[in-house]
Amino acid sequence: MKNVNGEFFEIQLDEDNSTVLFKGALRLSGTEDYAPILDLLKETLISSRPIVVDLRGLDFLNSSGITMLSRFVIEARDRTSIQVEFLASEAVPWHARSLKNLQRLMPALSIRLI
Amino acid sequence: MMTSQTHDSDGERPGECEYLTLAFSPTSAPLRYRWRNNGLSADFLGDYVTTFLPTAPPHENRQNEIKHAVTYIANELLENAMKYHQPDIEIPIRIHLELATDHIKVSVSNGIGVVEAGRYEAFVERLQEGNAADLLLKQQEENAERSESNLSCLGLLTMISDYDAKLAWRFDVHPVLPQSMTVTTSAVLPFKTVTGASLLEKR
Repeated sequence: MKNVNGEFFEIQLDEDNSTVLFKGALRLSGTEDYAPILDLLKETLISSRPIVVDLRGLDFLNSSGITMLSRFVIEARDRTSIQVEFLASEAVPWHARSLKNLQRLMPALSIRLI
Repeated sequence: MMTSQTHDSDGERPGECEYLTLAFSPTSAPLRYRWRNNGLSADFLGDYVTTFLPTAPPHENRQNEIKHAVTYIANELLENAMKYHQPDIEIPIRIHLELATDHIKVSVSNGIGVVEAGRYEAFVERLQEGNAADLLLKQQEENAERSESNLSCLGLLTMISDYDAKLAWRFDVHPVLPQSMTVTTSAVLPFKTVTGASLLEKR
């Protein structure tokens, strides 16, 4: 297990299952501040196992954070053999609103709204 | 020479709506500390709006959608203002929230140099000519190849593309310092475009 934690958020990588779990609210100020989280996400690209990004507990993400997710999705897309699934929640308004744009970047991206 | 400009005719009609304004003196604390304040202020405005919305079923989803939309937009506008504010002039950063029967408006103003104002205005013009969702996609592809990116553009694009916000801009020359301006960015959320929302019910 690897973690990146802050005052309002907690992100956990389970390497064995290629799963990244997000909790809380992310409003970091830009690319540099988001780099440790992007690096954590990119670790899942090392193996060829299907990747699960669980965003159900992430109540808020600013546009810099959306950019960080789009960077990860573009990297995953460019490695054509990797399957990526985002788990999202109907109860969190930004999920339905903003995650669809990531599917435009990577049509094979699976988004499961639970 | 740039003078006062309005990119939208959506005028303010004082007295016809509820409103709330917060002002920050940006020179008094380091950016990292003020950054935390963006989130707290945005959350406060989102919570404040819910006071005026019906809460009983079946309205909870609508209330949650509107609260989130206001919080997201207020947070993005404040982040941009904090990042691009000209630090050496005495212009406060202001956030103004207006609640009318058919829309909510969030406006943020900050001080900016004339050169930066010109750049921002050029971006605004590009934004108004193109399709926000397509511009967002293009920008995300371009950003993936760069180490740093113009993230404020993405914030504005997501407001239009994901929240159906109608944006407007105003540039006012500083009354004393001709090389400085106050830029005001406004986002209007018409209730009909907020998922599940129709009109703010009369109390």
